[in-house]
Amino acid sequence: MSLTFVGGSYRTVPIELRERLAFSAEQASEALGRFRREFPGNEAVLLSTCNRVELYAAAEQRQGPPPPDELAMFLAECRGVELAAVNSVLAGDHGPAAVKHLFSVAAGLDSMVLGEPQIVAQVKQAWQLAVASGTTGPLTGELFQAALRAAKRVASETALGRERLSIPSVAVADFAAGVFERFDDKRVLLIGAGKMAAETLRYLRDAGASDVRVVNRTAGRASELATRLGATAGDYRDLIGELVAADLIVSTTGATEPVVTLAAFEQIDAQRQGRPLVVLDLAVPRDFEPAIGARPGVWLYSVDDLGQACEANRRRRQREMPAAWTIIDEETRRFMGDLHHRSTVPVIEQLRAGWNETGEAELDRLFRKLPELDEAAREEIRQAFSRFAAKMLHPPLASLRSESHAGPPHGLLDALRRLFDLKE
Amino acid sequence: MADFISRISVVCFAASYAVALGFEVTRLWFRSGVRGVTMVGFATAGLLAHTLYLFWRAATVTALPLSSAFDWYLLAAWLLAAGSLWMTLSNPRTPVGLFVLPVVLGLIGAAELSSREPFPQSPATQTWGVIHGSFNLAMSVAIVLGGLAGGMWLIQAGRLARKQAPLQGFRMPSLEKMSLWASRMVVIAACAGGSGFLSGMILNAVNRRRGLLETVPWNDPVVLRMGTLVVWLIIAAAISRLFSHRPEGRRVTAVLSLVSLAMLTASILWGVLGTTQHGMPPQQPVVAAPPVGGAA
Repeated sequence: MSLTFVGGSYRTVPIELRERLAFSAEQASEALGRFRREFPGNEAVLLSTCNRVELYAAAEQRQGPPPPDELAMFLAECRGVELAAVNSVLAGDHGPAAVKHLFSVAAGLDSMVLGEPQIVAQVKQAWQLAVASGTTGPLTGELFQAALRAAKRVASETALGRERLSIPSVAVADFAAGVFERFDDKRVLLIGAGKMAAETLRYLRDAGASDVRVVNRTAGRASELATRLGATAGDYRDLIGELVAADLIVSTTGATEPVVTLAAFEQIDAQRQGRPLVVLDLAVPRDFEPAIGARPGVWLYSVDDLGQACEANRRRRQREMPAAWTIIDEETRRFMGDLHHRSTVPVIEQLRAGWNETGEAELDRLFRKLPELDEAAREEIRQAFSRFAAKMLHPPLASLRSESHAGPPHGLLDALRRLFDLKE
Repeated sequence: MADFISRISVVCFAASYAVALGFEVTRLWFRSGVRGVTMVGFATAGLLAHTLYLFWRAATVTALPLSSAFDWYLLAAWLLAAGSLWMTLSNPRTPVGLFVLPVVLGLIGAAELSSREPFPQSPATQTWGVIHGSFNLAMSVAIVLGGLAGGMWLIQAGRLARKQAPLQGFRMPSLEKMSLWASRMVVIAACAGGSGFLSGMILNAVNRRRGLLETVPWNDPVVLRMGTLVVWLIIAAAISRLFSHRPEGRRVTAVLSLVSLAMLTASILWGVLGTTQHGMPPQQPVVAAPPVGGAA
C-alpha cells in the first residue's frame, strides 16, 4: 500500500517543454485509460495545468505502484516526447514526500503566484477526470480528499490567499472600496482604452458599478469599447463635463503629456460640489498631474502606488509561508497515520473474527450444558462474552493505532499474526 | 433565578467587555479563526449580564433606569455595547469593538465613580425628568458614535493618503460610510442636546412653580458645561452643514465630531470628579419630592 508521483512544474520544466507535455482534458482521459490497461490494479490521477504536469499513482498491493522513472516514461510516451528530454526535468518521489508535495500544490504553495486559489479547482478537476476514467480507488480517493482539506485549512487559517496581487484588484478592493461604501450609485469614467481598463472595470462591476462612461480621443474606438464593456460612450471633447460628473476615474490613455493638469482640475473642482473623487491613473506616462492628488477630496493612485501596495501584499503572503507549511506537515502526518492504520485492518478483522468464532463455539457448548437458561439469561451471557472480547482486544488494537502514527507497524502486525496464528 | 441575577455585579460585565476588547486588540498582530467567535461570545455574555443587571436595578433599587447618575452611565454604556455588538455581527472584518468598547468601559468606570443615590422623584416632575435625562443620553451616545466615526474617518483617510493597503482582518469602514455617520450624529447630538437643555429648563420651571427651587441654578458647573456643550454642538452642526458641499467638508465634520467627543469626555470627567447640586434633593423641606434628571 503506497503512493508515488512524477512530474515537473514551471520551476524545472522550460515553457516549450511544458507546452509539449501539457494534456488537454481529452488527452488526459486517454492517458488514464492507457494507464489502466498498462498498470492494472493501480490507481492514478493526472494533474495538468499551464504551470505543471504531474502523475500520481497508488497501489494497495505489496509491490506498490510503478516507480517514478517508469511513470516519467509513461508520460513522455503519452505526449510523444523523447524520454531524454524529460528525464532531466521531471522528478518524482514516494510515500510521505509525495503526499506532502500534493498537499503543498493544492494549497498553492508551489504556485507561480503564491497562494493563488485556482489550483484547488484544478486539483479537483483532475480528480474528477480520474474518477470518470476509472483510475481512482480508495487510496487516491483519500489522498485527494485530504489534499483538498489541507488546501482549505491553509486558505482559512492563514492569509496566504487573501492579499490581492494584481493592480486592478488592489485598486478597486483596497483603495476605491476604502473611499466608497457602494458603487451602484457612482459614475465610473474610463478614459482611454488601455489593456488594464477592461480588467479594472470587471472588478468594479463585481463591486456593483453600473453607470460606466467611456471616452477616447477616437470616438469610434470609444463606441467600440463601450459596446464591448456594456458601457455608454461619452464625448472626449466634453472631458471637463465628464470629469465633473464622475465619482471614479480609470485612466489608461497612451498620451505622452498629462490629459488632466492641475490648472484644468482646479476649474472643475468647484463644480463637483465637494463630492469625493477616486482617480486610478493606470497610464504610463501618467494622465493626471500628481499635484491633483493633494487636493482635498481627491484620492489619486498611479500604477507605481498600486504596484507598491501589490508588492507589500506579496511580502505579506510570503510571511504566511511558515504557518502554511506547518498545516501541510500536520495534514501529511495525519494522512500517513490513517494510511498506515489502513494496512492493519485485515489483521484486526481476522483477530476479531477469530475471537468471535471461538466465543460463539464456547457459548453453544455452554448453552447445551445448561438448557434451563431462558432467552434473557442467554442474551446476558452473550453480551458478557462480547464485552470480554472487546476488552481483551482493546490493548493490542490501541497499540496498533498508536504505532501507525510513526510508520507502518510491521513488527506489531507480524507479532500478532504469529501469536494468534493469523494468515498473511 | 432572582438570586442568580442579584449576584451579577458591575465587575462581571465589565470584565467580559474587557476580555472582548483584548481579543479585538490582538487583530493588530495576528490572525485567528476562533477569535471572532470568542470575542462575540464574551461581548454577548457581557451584554446579557449588563441587561440583567439594569433590569435588577430598575426592579429592586430604583423605579426607573435613569434614576441616578450611576444608572445613567450604565444605560449609556449598555446602548453603546449593544450597538458595538450589532455592528460587529454585521461587519465581522471591521474592528468596531476596538473603538467602542474602550468608551463602554470608560462609561462603566464613570458609573462606578458616580453617586448611586436615586434622584428625588415625584409624579409631578417625573415626566420632565425622564425627558431631560433621555435627551441627554441620546446626545451623549450620538456624540460618542459621531466622534468614533470621525476618528475612524481620519485614520482611513490617512491610510488612503499614504497609499497603504488595509491590514488583513482589520478593514476600516469606507470614508463614505464614516462621513455619513459623523455628519448625521453631529445633527442628532445638536438636536438632542438642545432638547435636553430646553427640557431641563422646563423641569426647573416646574420645580420653581411647585416651590422646590428658589432660583434656577444657572451657575451650577453641570448646567454651565452642558450649556457650553450644547452651544458647541449647534455651532459644529452649522459648520458641518456649511462645509458639506466643499471638498474639505468631510474632514471638517470628522474633526468637529472628534472635538465634540473630547468635550463630552472632559465634561464627564468634570462631573465625576467635581461637585454639583444638579439633580440633588433641595436643601429646604419639600412639599413634593424633586424630579428625575440626567447625570451629564
